[in-house]
Parts: sequence; C-alpha cells; structure tokens
Amino acid sequence: MERTVLFPDFQTAFALTIASGAFVAGLLLLAAIALLGTVRGWRRRRMAAIESGWRNALSQAVEDPQGAALPRIGVRDLPHFLEAWNRMLESADAETAERLGTLLSLHGIDRRALRMLGRRSTRLKLAAITAAGHLREQRAWEQLEALAQNAGPITSFAAARALLRIDARRALDTLSHAIPAREDWPLARLASVFEALGPAVVTNPLITMLLRRPRPGLDRVVKLARFGQPEKISSIVRGWLGSSTDPDVLMAALACIEDRADLPWAIGAADHPEWRVRMAAARAIGKVGSREELPVLLQLLRDPVWWVRYHAAHGLIRLEGLQPHELEALREGARDSFAADMLGQALAERRWS
Amino acid sequence: MSGVVLVVVWFLIAYLLVLNGAYLVLSFVAMKTLRDKVTLRPLENLPPVHQALVQPVTVIVAARDDAGHVVDRVRTALALDYPQFEVVVVNDGSRDTTLEALREAFALEAFPEVYWRRIPVKAVRTIYHSRLHRNLRVVDKERGGTADAINAGVNTSRYPLVLALDPRWMLRRDGLRVLVEPFVDDPATLAACSTVRIGADGSGGVEAGAADLPSSLFTRLQIVERLREPLLGWARRNAALAVSGCAILLRKDAVVEAMGFRGDVLVEEMELVMRLHRLWREKCERYAVAVVPDPVCWTRAAATLAQLRGERMRWHVGLAQALAANRGLSGLAHGGAVRWLAYPFLGFFERYGPAIEVLGFLLLAAMFVLGLLPGMVFVALVALAFALGFLVSMSGLLLEELSFRLYPRWGQALRLAIAAVVENLGYRQLVAIWRVDALLRWWQTR
Repeated sequence: MERTVLFPDFQTAFALTIASGAFVAGLLLLAAIALLGTVRGWRRRRMAAIESGWRNALSQAVEDPQGAALPRIGVRDLPHFLEAWNRMLESADAETAERLGTLLSLHGIDRRALRMLGRRSTRLKLAAITAAGHLREQRAWEQLEALAQNAGPITSFAAARALLRIDARRALDTLSHAIPAREDWPLARLASVFEALGPAVVTNPLITMLLRRPRPGLDRVVKLARFGQPEKISSIVRGWLGSSTDPDVLMAALACIEDRADLPWAIGAADHPEWRVRMAAARAIGKVGSREELPVLLQLLRDPVWWVRYHAAHGLIRLEGLQPHELEALREGARDSFAADMLGQALAERRWS
Repeated sequence: MSGVVLVVVWFLIAYLLVLNGAYLVLSFVAMKTLRDKVTLRPLENLPPVHQALVQPVTVIVAARDDAGHVVDRVRTALALDYPQFEVVVVNDGSRDTTLEALREAFALEAFPEVYWRRIPVKAVRTIYHSRLHRNLRVVDKERGGTADAINAGVNTSRYPLVLALDPRWMLRRDGLRVLVEPFVDDPATLAACSTVRIGADGSGGVEAGAADLPSSLFTRLQIVERLREPLLGWARRNAALAVSGCAILLRKDAVVEAMGFRGDVLVEEMELVMRLHRLWREKCERYAVAVVPDPVCWTRAAATLAQLRGERMRWHVGLAQALAANRGLSGLAHGGAVRWLAYPFLGFFERYGPAIEVLGFLLLAAMFVLGLLPGMVFVALVALAFALGFLVSMSGLLLEELSFRLYPRWGQALRLAIAAVVENLGYRQLVAIWRVDALLRWWQTR
C-alpha cells in the first residue's frame, strides 16, 4: 500500500514546523499580554485595598505609634510596605520620622528589613537599604558600608545615602574617598544630600577632601564645596593659587577670589595656556579688580576664545571706578574688531538687563 | 526541485530565521532593560536631582517658510518645564513672513551679539533678542537647509546641552527633565535619544500616562511597526545607531567636535549619532549614547500611503547614507558591539534586507509559475515569513505591556493584536518594496 506523504520534502516540513511554532508562540505572547493585563489589574486592586489599611496605620502612628493598628504584613507584601513607608519618610520631619520608625520596631518589621539587606533582588535590597537609613539602624552599618564600597551604582549610592542618614559625620569620614572617586554616583543627586545635611555637617569633611586634592575627582569635590561654609572653604581653595598649575584646581581657586590681595594670582592666570583658566581669571579680575587692572582685561578682551572675551567684557563693565562713557570710548577706540564687538554686546546686555 | 531552487529556498529560510531571531533577541533584551528600569525607578531616582547642578539646555527651533506655525512652535518650546533653558530660533532664509511673525509675537529687537562660528554655516545676518522672554533669541541667516540651521543654533547656543526641536514630533512638557537624566547619571553621555510614539493627534494627548489609541487601522499599523523597533535592545550594549525622528539631547562640545550635522544626508540626526559612535570609539574614550524608553516624544502618523511611502523611503536612504558615511565603524580596533553586531546588522539586514526579501519572494513566485517550485514549498515559505513577523510584532506589544502600558484597556490590546496580524499581510511587504525603491534611487544618485 502506498504511504500518504504529508510534506513532499524536508524544507517544506521544516519551514511549516517553524512557522507553526512561531505562530503558536505569537498566540502565547498574546495570551501573556492579556494575562499580564488581568494580573496587573487584580494586583493593583489588591494593593490598593491593602495600602489603604497601611495608610491608616501610618497616619495613626504619626499621632500615636503605640496605638496604631498595623495589619499583618506578609512576606510578599513587605517590599511594597517598605516602599510606601520610605516614600512617606522622604518628606517627613524628624519627629514624624521617629514615630513612624517606632511603629516598625513595635511590629518587628525593622528586623525583617535588616534581613532583606542580604537578598539578591535589587528591588528588595534597595527597599531595605532605604528603610535602614530612615530607621537610623546602627546594626546595619557594616552591611551598608560593604554595599556602599562594592555594589553597583544604584545600590552603592543608596547604601551611601543610608549611612549618611544614620550618622552623617561618621559616614562622611568613611565615604571621603568614594565621594570624589565614584563617578557613577550622580553629582547632582549627591548635591541634594549635601544640601540637606547642611554646612555645619559637611564643611569639615569637605575641607579634608579638598586638602587631599583627589585625582580624579577634585572637580566633583569643588562643585560640592558650595554646600560648605564659604569662609572656611574659600580660604583653602584660594590657597591653591600659589601651589598648583592644574587647570581644574586653578579654576576652582579663581572662582573663590573675594579679595584684592589675591589679584596678582588672577593676573598671572590671565596668560595660562588653558582657556578655561583665562576665563576664570577674567571673571575674578572683574569681581575684585579696579581701573588698575584695565590693561589685563583689555588683553583678555582680545583673546581668541569667545568665552574669554565675553567674560573679559563683562569684567570690564563690573570693574570698579569705570564710567559708562569710558566703556563706550574703549569700545569705539578698540583696534581689534572682535574686542569692540564683544564689548558692544556686553554693554547692550547690561542695558537690557 | 533543482539545486538552484533548493539553494534559494534554504537561503530564504535561513535569512528569515536569523533576521527575526535577532529582532526577538533584541526585543527580550529591551524587555529586561525596561523591566529593571520600571521596577527600580521609584528608588533609583532618589534623592532628587539638585537643580543647581543640572546642565542647562539650549532648545533649537529651525524654521524656514513657516510663518503659519513658527510662533506656536516657539511658544511650545518656551512652555517646556525645565529649570534652566534657552530657546534659539533659527530663521533659515525664509522667503515668507516667518521673521516678521516672530518679531511681532515676541517683541524681537536686533541685538549686537557676537556670533561664534564654531561650525561652518551660511552667513548669519542678525541676531534678535526678545523683550518678552529673556531666554529667547532668534538667529536670522541665509538659506542653507535644516542641518545648516541647526548648526547655526549650536553655534549660538550658550549652554552645554542642545536639542533640536523638530516640527514632526512633539515633546512632552517635562520631556527635557527625562532626557537629561542619562547626563546626570553618567557624565560620559554624549546623546540621549527618546523612543518615539505615535499619537492620535501627534501628541499622544498626554502629560504622562495612558494614551488614546487611534481609531484608524492604518495608524495602528504604524504603531505596531514602531513597537518592533529594536533601538532599546541595542542601547543596552551602547550600540544604538539607527536613531531618527525622535528627540535627541546632545552634548554640545561633542557636536562641535564632530563638526555638527551634515547637510548632504537625509536623516541628519542618525548620521550624527553614528559619527559620534565612530569618533569616540576611534579615540578609545568611554562614552554613552543612551535611549530613554519613557514615552516623552510623540509624532503624528502618516495620513496617506503617499506620505508613508515618502517617510519610509527617506528613512531608508538616510540609513544607507549614514552607514556609507561611517564605514569606518566596521574596522575599529575597539569597536565592541557597534563594530561586531550593530553595524553589520544594520548594514546587511536593515539596508539590504528588504531587497533580499522582495527579490527572494519574487524569484520564488516566478519559479512557482514556471513549475520549478512545488506550490506547497511556496506556501510554507510565505507562512514562515508571516508567522515570524507576527511573533516579532507580538513581542513588541508585550514590551509595551511590560513597560509603560500606554494602551491598558483590553479593547486597545486586541485592536493592536489585530494590527499585528494585518501588518504581516501586505503592509510590511509594501514598505519593503518602497525601501528597495529607495535603495535603487540612492544607488543611482551616488
């Protein structure tokens, strides 16, 4: 008897098998999309119900942590609870934070959060790290320190922040090498932390970091230095004027000049090969200089770099003792057309402001 | 079947498997990226960014003979929500009343500003400042094309990051805050590109959150087509090359070093991003080109077949031009994923793929008509192409579901799924034919 051959050749069978598989997989993905939507909706409704219980307890705890009735929190719900708790703590004042912390201790959640620090999931770990910071949890110090030194950018930064919450001075001491060196810790976010800590806390650690002049990372420390006490920071930074030729260091030092006594350094920097230093020199001279510094600023006004000329022109306008008609005369008399144009722009900008 | 026919059949099977397999892998890589991002975002974004240390942005609006819309475009730019930004409008030698419209709407006055010509562009006539908005300037220059106008904007810019606002898309009000995040988190970032979404009216109708799904099937086909784009998958390996039609925030010093946008290519932003990859890899310096998955940039779908054809042909020629201009990427000593994966993939599958597909199936059809190929084999290959295309489209939909859930309702998901089926029954083939046409025209004009 002759056998019925469904597919005449191998390539047809192969193509049709793969096509069927792909089509079924596509349908499975469609089912997954539908299922995901359903599960998400169900989970959202469930979490909304649970969270309303938590919110009530947290609100009660702000008044009376002992009397607040916190529903039992299962293992699966703990990360969600900690995230909600962390969110609330982000904007809480010290007293509220303490009461909300007491609520956690009374229900043993602080210990459960500590155990979560060792979990592999980044999400769980982050929730636990943030909670440990809010709880000022000294028992977590060593673990957090290890995470801050070694873990990936997000986890290590969260751990550093938690350490700063627990004991800012000790943490700044511990992290004084990491803060300049770890470029994966976003400076703009670190700045928010430094601002929140306040000048009284951050000034001395900043001075320690500045004196060390870390390479690389000095530029980061210099940018953070604005959150320290200006009088203490600037005296150190100005001290670099005579002891460094590094452009970043010089720029930072020139930005801190507040006194005519430092002018010779600024005038010396006007010939620096790096244009950013010459630009900083023009700004410094404009800030504290007088008519005596006119020749230096006129020299900078002829600089080949646009930004140097721009700041030199604005420096001339700020220069003490120089009258508007003298500036106009300088512009009209300038033999260098670039210089004249730039001075014209600066004068116009002043008129418009 | 003869040996030649067998070779053609197996080549097509292998081609379809590798192409769609690569798309699937990229889609799953993107899923992982998105999942991490969406899950961790509430925690990783703490503490907030300090406003004083966020880099300010120059938004460039290039306008040519656009008197009817330019004022609205500038107002939209001025309404962006960002701590410090300026808007530089470049009037590219308009022959209509574009400049007058701007002058009247924003109380412009000629200003004696010294123009810094870092990138060579056509002559700048006048720079205007606005009496109403301190952060608005208008550059009036001789006609030189879009790239030339944007370069003039870069030259005029005072800030370290630049974004060229394009009339083809709409940026969400807080879009700059989202786009700047890669620069905040990694100082080595050269560019941050948004992915593009198609909205019912070109804006998505959203500040943030769910979007309306357009009622037209033609538009939904384009949405599904966008969802298949593997840009986010490439970005995980810092290999996002084919960036186009979206908001791209760029580091100005990098743009200047690369000598700006090129005027002799059709998709300027794609060529520039590829060039940045090439230059930084040649220098062996660490850099990043980030892709922001958040739905911050919306575009209007093509309304007619002719418009769609124009868009797709432009994109394909732009891709071919960018790849040809940056051939050096294929021979880089430290080319990484760009050299070994992204560039060859784009060069072979994206550039020549449509031609292979169209020619392959035409050849099969011809062989079938001539009786050289059994009908069953032909049907099997068509079924394979359809099923694999459907699977890739569904993976794109799943990606959307896992991430921002712009279309959360059942009905929306179902209508998109139908579009994913229909897309493989003619739409993709039509686009492939247009792309082949574009490739042929490009070859002729080279």
